[in-house]
This record gives sequence, structure tokens and C-alpha cells, in this order.
Amino acid sequence: MNSLPTNPLLEQFLSESRDLLESTGKKLMQLEEVPNDQDILNELFRCVHTLKGNSGLFTFPEMTRVLHAGEDLLGMVRSGNLTYSRELADRLLDAMDFVGVLCSEIETTEKIDASRASESQQMTEALRMLMPSLTSSDDAPMAAGPNGRVANDPIRTVDDPGSGPPSLRSIPDAVRIAALEQCRQGDQLYWIAYRPQRECFFHGDDPLNSARQTPGLMWGRVLAPEPLPSLTEFDTYSCLIGFDLLADAPREELDQHYRYLPDQVEITTVRPMWLVSGQGVEDGPSKASSAANRTRSLSDADEDAFNKILAAQRQILLLEDRPAWHAGRLKSVADVLTNLSQAVGETSTRTDILAAFEDASATDHNTLLLAWLDGHKNMQSNAGLQRLAGANDEIAIAYAEAAADTGSSLEIDAGKVAADDGLKFCRRAEDTGNVPRSLKVDQAKIDRLMNLIGELLVEKNALPYLAQRAEVQFGNRELSREIRGQYSVINRIADEMQDAIMQVRMMAVSFVFQRFPRLVRDISRKLGKEVQLVLEGEQTEADKNIIESLADPLIHIVRNSLDHGLEMPEVRRARGKPETGRLTIRAAQQADRVVIEIIDDGNGIDPAIIKRKAYEKGLIDEATLERIGDQEAVNLIFAAGLSTAEVVSDLSGRGVGMDVVRSAVEKINGTVEIESEVGKGTSIRISLPLSMAVTQVMVIEFDGQLFGVPMDNVVETVRVPRSEIRAIKQSLTAVLRGRIVPLKALNTLLGIPSIPTPNANDELAILLVQTGSEVFGLMVDGFKETIGLIQKPLGGFLSGLSAYSGSALMGDGSVLMILNIREIA
Amino acid sequence: MKRVLIVDDAATVRMYHRSILESAGYMVEEAWNGIEALEKSLESSFDLYLVDINMPKLDGYGFLRELRQQEISQRPAIMVSTEAAARDEMAAYKAGANAYLIKPVRPAQLLSYVRLMSGEANQ
Repeated sequence: MNSLPTNPLLEQFLSESRDLLESTGKKLMQLEEVPNDQDILNELFRCVHTLKGNSGLFTFPEMTRVLHAGEDLLGMVRSGNLTYSRELADRLLDAMDFVGVLCSEIETTEKIDASRASESQQMTEALRMLMPSLTSSDDAPMAAGPNGRVANDPIRTVDDPGSGPPSLRSIPDAVRIAALEQCRQGDQLYWIAYRPQRECFFHGDDPLNSARQTPGLMWGRVLAPEPLPSLTEFDTYSCLIGFDLLADAPREELDQHYRYLPDQVEITTVRPMWLVSGQGVEDGPSKASSAANRTRSLSDADEDAFNKILAAQRQILLLEDRPAWHAGRLKSVADVLTNLSQAVGETSTRTDILAAFEDASATDHNTLLLAWLDGHKNMQSNAGLQRLAGANDEIAIAYAEAAADTGSSLEIDAGKVAADDGLKFCRRAEDTGNVPRSLKVDQAKIDRLMNLIGELLVEKNALPYLAQRAEVQFGNRELSREIRGQYSVINRIADEMQDAIMQVRMMAVSFVFQRFPRLVRDISRKLGKEVQLVLEGEQTEADKNIIESLADPLIHIVRNSLDHGLEMPEVRRARGKPETGRLTIRAAQQADRVVIEIIDDGNGIDPAIIKRKAYEKGLIDEATLERIGDQEAVNLIFAAGLSTAEVVSDLSGRGVGMDVVRSAVEKINGTVEIESEVGKGTSIRISLPLSMAVTQVMVIEFDGQLFGVPMDNVVETVRVPRSEIRAIKQSLTAVLRGRIVPLKALNTLLGIPSIPTPNANDELAILLVQTGSEVFGLMVDGFKETIGLIQKPLGGFLSGLSAYSGSALMGDGSVLMILNIREIA
Repeated sequence: MKRVLIVDDAATVRMYHRSILESAGYMVEEAWNGIEALEKSLESSFDLYLVDINMPKLDGYGFLRELRQQEISQRPAIMVSTEAAARDEMAAYKAGANAYLIKPVRPAQLLSYVRLMSGEANQ
């Protein structure tokens, strides 16, 4: 049944479902800590209940079924009929994951793939398995929902050999004889009388589909078990049909297929006797449905309706037409008229209509159809009209529409709404007074806006150059001043725009954090460890790109902590620690950076082991092995190719360790530090910029060329007299603020032949830079301004140049190369 | 124009009901739990209430009881529930509901009830 409207409602449904699924997951997690908290249980129940209720507005039986089972299960837990267990939580989490998958599927395809049905049933069964004895729960209030069918209720069997055969005579001769032959060969055949409930559509059933999918289906027919109501009482949302089916599949398969509909299906074993002729008078399903076409006299209301349909078709034909719609209208009118004439038994007129329609389509003119209509104004006098009462629901819909078009009485109005609300829902999206407080925007649109603003920021930098030219080259001071004035205005607006777009792109770290409760739970269970996860500062915000690229390193670190950091409960007990380990993930904003700390109270990292491993793997030489301190040793964990886990587990990977984390973090201009104390625990600290879209860069000059150094690396700029620079061993140093700082000349780092030139006072310009915890001085020729720019990564064959992190376009059109301090150090 | 207050914690259901009612010319206000519904009912008067049962903070029964006992409004209220149990239905009437419908409510069904209850059927 697709008559329910979709788009805006569906969108709403999906977004609400996602929220509900998320809080369901959270609540399940909370419940593990306090299993009998009635408040959490109530909220959990309500989440699932709401999800189920919402899904019932659509035709997603696969989803509704699972949710219904989940709701029943939680209802039992809530009422104390079932105790909460980890297994129960696992099943429910699985079910919620499955619903999440279905949601994504609906989002992309607007429907659920038919293949999901069996998964859904397995999921439902898994949930129902957990329920205590189903027979007793049948009377329990929770299980007695409107469609709270009980799974293993045996399907009723009518198998009394004495009772007469069901209406087998409707089977056409050809099928009957074949069936008889099969029976003689010993096959067991079944007669299935499936009478769906009137409300079945609202329970998420799809009777036609269920009937068609009947295993071993040999023959079937659709019928109206009860006389159809008159058109005025016709309800298109009720299922008024039933099915008679003949199948040769094993009984178990049939029971399995109809196990959710035990009260609506009657399965009878067919006795060969019944198939032996004599009874078959009718053949073919078209006549078989004649039970529905019981002749009744046409009420005044029906006659009125019939006239209205004709009038409506007339009106449609006379509409001022846009050519594009013309063909569709003609087709629609022809269809309605064909159906109508069929319904009243005037099958002979069918050809007339078709001819009229073809003519109309060919000439693009309505005359013939109109003429036909005029000629049939008095069709209701025909005897065939008497059978209109048995018309199919297509006519009912046409009736409702036609009636709605021609002015409405109260009863008809209801029909109008039913037929029209697709349209209404679409309109709602634009003119609803229910203004949303937040707006969902495609990420690509924001990225585009971001790029445009980036370009604007760069382009505006051309104005000062222009002002300079106006003055210097054209001698127009006045113009120069004006340009500068304009520039400062544009500059301010551009800055604000940049700020605004940054705000839009800000995202809370909870985007990444929210997956941890589940992750930690699953992993720790797998490892048999008890872990309490503490999340802090989830509302801390940073740029979308930063947050997104944070996910992988964080997951890696958390996995490491769980796998290698936190000990098994018995080990912890032996060490005098609480059995439940504690893992804290904390985010906070510090100045213009986001700092994320992952702290565990586990094993800690033993520097001795690290040193030994590093030496064994050739990461450090013997001299270093002797020299390095404990902190440095612990830092070796970030070196490529070092994995210290004594057992390589399937969780944290093989040999790819923290070096991956480091490179991922450094890629987004972040730093990562580690502190660890053997036996006490480990703390890893990731510091990230709030935003990476615009980089503040200090421009330096060397050998007549300009280079950029990211401000994140810059500590300070100093000028040092040449006499104070000393050579210690092979390297140059200077004492700055009481500290010995190694100095490196840019020429040696980049392989430029010329050497740094001192200024008139014989002082050298030194840019103090920092990478990680290392500080050194970069000897250059001079400092220029600090600018904000959009860094573009180096492309093509330039991408191999690791000394540069990227390039940027300057206001005067020249290209600035940005130095990658970490790589050149 | 008749005013209807929809009280339901499910945004999807609110949207569904709202669309049906607005398409038939009703003015619709929404509340997502009993407390908010009471606040709205104190602020302004409604011709009809459409109330869900299971809601956070204050459920549908509680809301109707308050509405009636505090004499905030005696206008008709339709309880909308997913449970078909007679027990729930009786509880709804006891709390002060005038009708009881099972979700999902079909558009035609909802409108005919709303018309009837808000006194339009006689006009």
C-alpha cells in the first residue's frame, strides 16, 4: 500500500529514527551499569516504542516487526517479567543496528530491499527467543499489542477427513488435473485459505506479496470473502480481499511462511478425492471473483457518484491545457472511462473508447473523447450499471477524486483527504509554519562556500599591491588612498565571512566520541576485561575536517589502551587495583587548539621493553640505547615499525602501531604526546588546531626568495650578532634566553648555494621554530609580514617534495612555498 | 478556525497528524510532552486535544487528568495509542479522554473524529 505520502514525512521519520537509535544505544549502555534503573528502562522502552510507532506510518514491515519484538521484550523487562542480561542487550543492540541499516537503505532507495525480510525474521526470532514461555505471555498486557501475534502459535489445521472439501471447484481444469496427477504420485498438496485482517496494512503486512511468495505455489486466486461495501462506505485502507492457494511445498515450509499470520491462514491437506472432477464448473480467476460481484441494486449515492465521475472526466478534458500535460490527461481519462465501462459491464464500449483515445492522442484533440462522453451521459440507465456495486478499488479512488473535484459533501471530504494528502504533504514542506531551528545543508555546499571565501581572502590581498602601483607607478596618491580605504572595508567583511563559515563548519567532538561507548563495550567484552569509559568535554568544537580526521587515530589509541593498556580483571586484582579499569577520553579547548586526552589506568609502558624492542628492530643504535632517557624511550612508541604487544591481537592490528596515529595527527597540523608510568597507566595527549582551512603563515626571505613558515611552528623572531653564534662540534648554536639553541641555515636545509647574509649591524635574522618538543633556530635573511592564506597541497611531480607542506597564491599573483618544518629539521 | 493541540513525543507522528489536520483547515499547535502541553493549554485555549499516551516527563493520562482537574479546559480530547487493550482504553476515559484511537490513525478516520468531537458535524 503506497498511498501514504512520503517525502517530507519520510525525511522526518529518518532523522527522528536516527536520534532515537542513538539514544537507544546510549540507554542500553547505561543500563549495563545500573541494570534495574527504572527511569532508564522507561526511556529505553519509550524510544523503541516511538520508533515502532513511527515505522507503522509507513510500509516497512521488516523494520516494524523487529521493533515490535524489541518493544515487547523491553516491556517485559520493564514490568519485571524478564531480567536484564548482557545477552539481551547484545540482541537488542544487534536489532537496533539492523534498524539503522534499514534506515540508511530507506534513505538511499526509499524502500527496503526484499532480501531483508529473512534477516528481519531472524532478528525478530532472536529477540522473541529471549522471552519467557510464550503461551503465558499471550495474555500479558505487553504482548497483546494490536498485532502482537505470537510466533510459534501453531497454524490451525482443518484436516477432518469427514468434512467436505473447500471450494476446490474454482481451480481451472488444467491445474486440477495436473494436481491430481501429482497426488497420485504421492505428493502432498495443500489448500491454503488466507484471509488477511482488514487492518493488516497497518500491521505492516503485505498480503498479496505473502500469497505470491507461498512456497510451492501451484495456483491461486484473489477473492472477496465478504460482499464489498457500497462505494460510499468503501475504505481503501481496509483489506477486503482474501486468497485461495494451492501449493505442493512441505507442510513445515508453509507453516514457516505463514508463521506470523496463524489466525488468518487455514491450511488443509488436499485429498486426491477432492480433485476428481465433477466439481469444476468455473474456470479462470476472472470469473472466480464473481463471488464479489454479487448483483445488488445501485443506491442513489452510487448513481450520483457515477455521474460525478463522468462529469469530472468531462471537466478534465475541457481544462485549458499545457501541451506537456495533454497526453497524460487524455490517457488518464481513457483509463478511467475504460475501467468505468468495465465496472458497469459495458465491455463493448471499450473499443470505442480506445479508438477515441487513439484519435485524440494522434490529433492532440479531445473532440472524440468528448463526443463519446456526451453520448454516454445516460449510461446509468443501462442494465450493466447494476453491477457497479462490485467495482474494484480503482473505481473507488476515481470516485473519491471525482467527487472531490465536483464539490464535496461531508462523507466525500474524507475520501478527498485520503486521495490528496500526497499533494498536501509536499506542499507542507515549503509553507509550513513549523520553522525548523536548524537547517541541514549538504556538506559539498559548505565546502564550496569555504573555497569561494578562501579565494576571496586571497584576491583581496591584490588590493594593497594595486594601491601601491597607483601611487608608485601612476603617481596618483589620492586613488591609492581610496583603494586602501576600500581594502580595509573588504578586508573586514572578508574576515567576518571567514569567521562565519568557520562557525558553520564547527562540529562537536561528540561526533567522534559517541561511537566509543559501544566500541569500548564490544572490545572489552571480547577481551574479557571490565572497563568503565568516562567521556568528558563532548561539546568541545572544532572544524569539521579536524573532527573527521580525528576519528581514526582516536579509535586506534582506544583500541590500544583496551588491548595492551588495561589488564585482565584478575591481574588488576593481584596488583591491588579495582577490577574495573578506567578509560577517560577528555576534550577541551586550550587557546586556539583542541586538546584531547586518552587516559587509562592500566599497565603503562615499560621504557625498558620499548628500548629493547627498538634496538632489536634496528630503530636505534647501541649508543642511543645507552643514552636515551625513559621519556624519550616511551616516545619511541610513535616510531614506525614498533609494536610492543606481546601477543599480536586481531584488535590493534599487526605491527602498525602508534606511528600511524602520529602521522594522521600531524597531517592535520596536530601533535601527539605520551606520558606513561609503569603499572599506573598511560596518558596520550593530542593537540589539534581548531581549524585547518586558513593557515597563518609568516613570510621569510632567503636568497631573494620568499618562503612561508606556518605560525604554529613559529616561536619567536630574533636577531643575533654574528659574534654570539658558536660552533659546538659540527653544529652552530646560540644562547637565547639562557638556553642553548641549535641553529640551522636554510641554505643547507634546502640545498641553496648562498649563505645567510647579516644586516648592517652584522646581525643574523633567526626564526625560532618548534616541531613537536624540539626547538631550533632557522637562519634566514629577513622577516616579512604574517598572512592568513589557504594552503594548497602540492600536486603532480611536486608532491614528492617533502620539504614543503604546500603552496599558496599571494595577492600579487606570485606563489609562496610553505616550508614543512618537521621534515626539514 | 478550530484550534487543535497535538501532544506527542514522536516528531514524525506530530508531523503526520499536523499534515492531515492542516489540510482540512485546522490550526495546529504541537507539544512534545504533557508538561509542555499543559503550559500551552494555560497560555491559550484549544478546541480539541489529540494526545499520545507514552511520553516523557508527563504522560497522556497525567496531562488529561491535570487538564480536567485543574479545570484548564473541558474541551474534548482524543487519545491516540498503539495499544488496543481495553485496559488502556478505560484508563484513557478515566483520565478524561473522550475518544480512543489506535495508531496509526488513517486520515479519514482522524478527520471524522475530529469533526465530530469539535462539534462541526452538526453544522
